[in-house]
Amino acid sequence: MRVLTVDDSRTILAMLHHTLSNAGFEVLQAEDGQKGLDVLKNESVDVVITDINMPVMDGIEFIKNVRASGMHNSLPILILTTETSQDKRDQGRAAGGTGWIVKPFDPEKLISVIHRVVH
Amino acid sequence: MSDLDDFKATYFDECSELLLELEEQFAAIEEGDRSSDRLNAVFRAIHSIKGGGGAFGFQGLVGFAHAYETLLDHVRDGRVELSEHVTALCIRANDIVADFVAAAKDGSELEAGYGAEEKHQFDALTSGDPDMAGEPMEEFDIDFVPVMVTIAGAEDDDVVAEEPLSLALLDDTFEAPPLVSEAGHWTIRFAPHAELYARANDPLLLLRELGTLGEIEVRAVLDEIPALNDFEPFGVYCSWEISLNSETATEASIAEVFEFVEGNCDLEISRGTAPVAEAALDAEIEAMPSFAELMADEVEPEAASEDAPAGELLSFAALAESLKPALKAAPPVMPPPLRQAAPAEEFEGENDRRSGVEDRRNGVQSIRVDLDKIDRVVNMVGELVITQSMLTQQMDETLRARYQELVRGLEVLAQTTRGLQDSVMSIRAQPVKTVFSRMPRLVRELATKTGKKIRLETIGENTEIDKTIIEQLSDPLTHMIRNSADHGIESPEKRMAAGKAEGGVIRLSAEQAGGNILIAVEDDGGGINRERVLQVARDRGVVGPEQALSDEQIDQLIFAPGFSTASEVSDISGRGVGMDVVLSNIKKIGGSVHVKSWTGKGTRMTLRLPLTLAVLDVMLVKVAGSPYVIPLSSIVETIQCARANFSRMPTGGQVLQVRGEYVQVVDLASRFAMTTEVARDNRFVVLCEAEGGVKVAVIVDDIIGQQQVVIKSLEENFQSIEGIAGGTILGDGNVALIVDVQGLKSATAAHKSAA
Repeated sequence: MRVLTVDDSRTILAMLHHTLSNAGFEVLQAEDGQKGLDVLKNESVDVVITDINMPVMDGIEFIKNVRASGMHNSLPILILTTETSQDKRDQGRAAGGTGWIVKPFDPEKLISVIHRVVH
Repeated sequence: MSDLDDFKATYFDECSELLLELEEQFAAIEEGDRSSDRLNAVFRAIHSIKGGGGAFGFQGLVGFAHAYETLLDHVRDGRVELSEHVTALCIRANDIVADFVAAAKDGSELEAGYGAEEKHQFDALTSGDPDMAGEPMEEFDIDFVPVMVTIAGAEDDDVVAEEPLSLALLDDTFEAPPLVSEAGHWTIRFAPHAELYARANDPLLLLRELGTLGEIEVRAVLDEIPALNDFEPFGVYCSWEISLNSETATEASIAEVFEFVEGNCDLEISRGTAPVAEAALDAEIEAMPSFAELMADEVEPEAASEDAPAGELLSFAALAESLKPALKAAPPVMPPPLRQAAPAEEFEGENDRRSGVEDRRNGVQSIRVDLDKIDRVVNMVGELVITQSMLTQQMDETLRARYQELVRGLEVLAQTTRGLQDSVMSIRAQPVKTVFSRMPRLVRELATKTGKKIRLETIGENTEIDKTIIEQLSDPLTHMIRNSADHGIESPEKRMAAGKAEGGVIRLSAEQAGGNILIAVEDDGGGINRERVLQVARDRGVVGPEQALSDEQIDQLIFAPGFSTASEVSDISGRGVGMDVVLSNIKKIGGSVHVKSWTGKGTRMTLRLPLTLAVLDVMLVKVAGSPYVIPLSSIVETIQCARANFSRMPTGGQVLQVRGEYVQVVDLASRFAMTTEVARDNRFVVLCEAEGGVKVAVIVDDIIGQQQVVIKSLEENFQSIEGIAGGTILGDGNVALIVDVQGLKSATAAHKSAA
């Protein structure tokens, strides 16, 4: 199973990579929304995990773009964020986000959330 | 746990970059640039620091960063005005964040309540806003479990998939749930809306997860499915009624399963079992298998419906019948129908975007490399340079005449090696910007503290210099700028009286000059007060009472150890250490400092630095037949003088008078217990300057010339020797020791006092 992780923080990308690859996922990385879109143009993935606050293109725009492309209607997108306020989640979901993961994430919880949105 | 350490290292690495970025952004914000890009960048930086900090459980850091972030969020969307007061608060907050990060890094404890005052101010500024201010902090108490679970994802997945989900609708032996109402029995009605599917949520997965809570039985509610003619391909007609039998499930745990689809579905959770509407189950159950197949395979009804007779109202059973052949004929995965229409229009735009992306990719391409690896390459290239010059030296005239091809080859090798050396050095080079960017802030603080008006100008901040040198530059530059602000720039009144602009200017510039980098700190202040400098120097015995000094020599006195002209110890530069610290720091990295002052007009201090530390410019000398090298940076001049000029001191040491100044003499041969055959009357003397401007006359047998050498550590390869800074391999393969002038001087002094 392939996961695309999109985050501007190297720390988070590294931790996601570690946790996910240990769990048997193949991990692709992008540092912002624009780069995430670039990856999706050339690669097919089973699930996307994205940060919200990013330079160049933030997570909300990224999700909107993914959905607007029409190519990834059934691609689950998880929002990875420290924001606990309801409005960030709502924004993410309104843009087309499938679910969310609250940072700091617990590795086991992360995997279980992914299984909640991917076959 | 090495993985966690790795992450921490990455995190702290990232933090220092983010902190630097904060400095830069606030420098611009202070200049009046308050664009949303800047504010967003600031917010993101703090957000990232907080995010990572949370993962490692750095409570203090996260707590503070959270309050700060809340303020920044308010500033970003205009709820709090970015006044001067708030800007100053933010700048202070950056420092505090940096302190928290530093404390987290080396595991030290900050004093209790550190940053509490600022945090309180944040809260005051953002209070009354229920949005983020009221956000509970508890969630950050979650400790990141440092254990990296090894979840075999595929296996796990399989287990779930293989688990016989009693999706009763697929089962002929469908049993109505018992009509008993007891603890542990739940009935859930779940009707998705179209948005649920649009966000890639999948009811099957939700049902699967519900199945992990206990035993479930699922019944599809198909009453809503319209006649085929009214069937919307993306319409949502199906809902489910689930009966859950679980000892442990609670309403909350059931609701949690549907957490991602909240608001995108109708959800009803009730205790006990609802009487199943038996009537609804009759004929439909017959048709279910094919419909379920249809759903499971995600075949678009629209694609299939083409085969169905149009204009005729069909019962669901008939629909199901008519779909069967279509199902078999249809490829397993049909393209989503919407795909065809939209992209055609977008095609051109798509192309443009793609080429734009490629441009960007070509623009910035970089990789991260561990500095150790680069250091190794730098070292190996150093070795290569030596080997190459050794080969060239081996070519004497006869060989040259005989092997012309070889000579040509060697010339090409020499050229390539030099190119390689330059390229490798440039890898480790960084723009001085990384240090310069910390200075505007310093100047601001100094201006506030001294009550002077000071503006900082920076020039040539893209000048590149070896990273190892850059790291050593921060302290000296800070000190020099402090000195300029404290002693150089006059008070506004004084400046006005002298007919100058009220505000002073400190100019920080960097440029490359040959094999050196020149960094200058210049101010338009009053210049060095030579009378006072000389007075203080005489008082402190730095200069003898009769000694006459040129203006330039007086200016250089500010670098003498323990010298400070501030009449009272100020908060800023008078810290008991003077500019001598600058000098010794710069000397350590093979550089030199020069000061030039114009009375009433200003002062310029110039640092001359080598481009790199790996290669040292040296003078090659010979003592008792062995080669030694002396760093060029510590050599003042070389002289030849007759034995008669050396005077023996009562203590046994020797001194030499050079231009009216008595200089301590070190005879390298006797210092290193060697006997020299040279009995010439004229001895070569290399006049060196040690730390603090103290001169030492080093006697050598012969001076061979200047060259560049690669420094090899003696400590690593042998052991530390006093008076020797290291070793090097010369072009002819011989080993030469690098003389440590400072060490020579202090060793001699120690020797003297022992005697």
